[in-house]
Amino acid sequence: MLARALRFIRPWVFPAVLMGALEIYARTVGRDSDAIAPPSLALLAFGRALLSTGEGSIAQATAFTLGSAGAGLLMGALLGIAIGIVLGLSRRAAHMGFLTVEVFRPIPSVALIPLAMLVFGFGFRMEISVVAFACFWPLLILTQAAVQQVEPGLLEVSQALGLSPLARTTKIVLPAVLPRLFVALRLGVAIALVVAVTVEIAANPSGMGYALMISQQSLAPDLMLAWLFWIGIVGFLINALALRLQRWVAGKMGDVVELESVDALAVSGRAGGAGRAGGSGGAGPSGGGSETGQTSEVLGTGLPHPAGRARRAGDAR
Amino acid sequence: MQAGRGLEANLTLKSGQNSGSSVLEFDRVRIHLGGREILSPTSFAVARGEFVCVIGPSGCGKTTLLRAAAGFVAPSGGAVKRHGLPVTGPSRDVAFVFQDYGRALLPWRTVANNVSLALEAAGIKAAERPARIAKVLATVGLTEHAAKFPAQLSGGMQQRVQIARCLAQEPELIMMDEPFGALDAMTRQSLQDEVSRLVRDSGLTVLFVTHDLEEAIYLSDRVIALRANPTPGKPSLAAMVEVKMARPRDQLMTKEDPEFLRLRRELYGFLAHP
Repeated sequence: MLARALRFIRPWVFPAVLMGALEIYARTVGRDSDAIAPPSLALLAFGRALLSTGEGSIAQATAFTLGSAGAGLLMGALLGIAIGIVLGLSRRAAHMGFLTVEVFRPIPSVALIPLAMLVFGFGFRMEISVVAFACFWPLLILTQAAVQQVEPGLLEVSQALGLSPLARTTKIVLPAVLPRLFVALRLGVAIALVVAVTVEIAANPSGMGYALMISQQSLAPDLMLAWLFWIGIVGFLINALALRLQRWVAGKMGDVVELESVDALAVSGRAGGAGRAGGSGGAGPSGGGSETGQTSEVLGTGLPHPAGRARRAGDAR
Repeated sequence: MQAGRGLEANLTLKSGQNSGSSVLEFDRVRIHLGGREILSPTSFAVARGEFVCVIGPSGCGKTTLLRAAAGFVAPSGGAVKRHGLPVTGPSRDVAFVFQDYGRALLPWRTVANNVSLALEAAGIKAAERPARIAKVLATVGLTEHAAKFPAQLSGGMQQRVQIARCLAQEPELIMMDEPFGALDAMTRQSLQDEVSRLVRDSGLTVLFVTHDLEEAIYLSDRVIALRANPTPGKPSLAAMVEVKMARPRDQLMTKEDPEFLRLRRELYGFLAHP
């Protein structure tokens, strides 16, 4: 009982100490500071912002940022995955696309803001386009790499069975790369959120990033801190949601996706700060048992873990 | 049982006119891969319903021969023919049992759905699939395991799933590439008997690669031995021996049969590296 309580409390100790220290500092040494506010005041400011409605309210700003991050991610991911599969399956296509990819990929997505502003003006579309650009490349590269690592034996099986190229893609390649796609998608989620907020801070007068800027410019450090924490919480929730989805799909496919590696990847990505699931690296639900013997094509989108067939849980040999 | 399936049916029809042609024929087939001679000109023919085993020391080109027969590898010289027509690529009429069952089954599909893949590929309607899946699973004794995932099965059972998938394809010819190589001795023997029975019941033609001499003699109507190191100008085929022991065979009786021992002695040298 005590051990369980301790286990629950342990992750909260460091944040609590940090908050306490900030509270004391802000109320003593930094009393006259325009840059920091005690967390208690930030919490109050957050409550006020939560109750306010209309333009610039928490709900509206959050919806705008998440909406554009989501739409941009969707566009970038769909394109990136589709092209990644083609480049992964065809050596010739990969050779043709290599130079183009390597020239465009290093362009920082935020460097596209001026161009996007010229083309789309302020607003939703401009933000989406920059987010899509940012998400497109990692998804393209990771999908291509994943497709190239599909077990050659499985491709031979599809050949021997005489599967059409389309059926080969949907029945063999896609399910085989799905676990890696999820890793890429979770990375994409983090990137999308970071880029969306960045675009709002730098240019677009909407969303959470803009609200953060406004509170900074109006010398309201409490509100600014409130926004900062809120963005962190939103990122955390989004990533936790993606993790759940990933586990659910993995369970459906009779496998357990190795989560440590996923988190390691998300952290090492350039957007690590925004969305990182707290150390939840344990084993997911051990899947498979619930699947029925239906011969429908429901399982047409399954997934093995690419790296560790040996690490499979539920191995009832 | 193989009749009436689109292109393949067409092929069978044409071959009908050309009676006497073999289910599979190697006509001076040569294979070069990466500048190395893998198979020197080799000729042999397999008749309908025949069980032919290919033996030879590792690196002699057994697997390559099988892959060429299945259409995965194009010969650099000569021709692989089926019913007198050259093979241009893999065909649904030819099933392939891969050695490594772990890499040949889709880990995200249940046993039933792995078998279903062959039916989906053949364009069988979804409504007809469950009955056909149930039938082949019963044939290989996997009915109770239909809802399990491959990782939940033993190696022998996984290989059975692969064989079931091949049967679902309703092929004329089955290629087996050391299918029992990774299994323990007892499982291996029971699968040998099972495959023997299946083949006898269904009239399938089998080309079976193995490096286990006793397995080859026990299973086959004919054993083809390949030379250890393919040398240009010298055919890879070193010996061809008929096995005329009665069927059904028995793991104990057959292997004590003087004919079995004689064949074993005769072929033994072909498996050793020179």
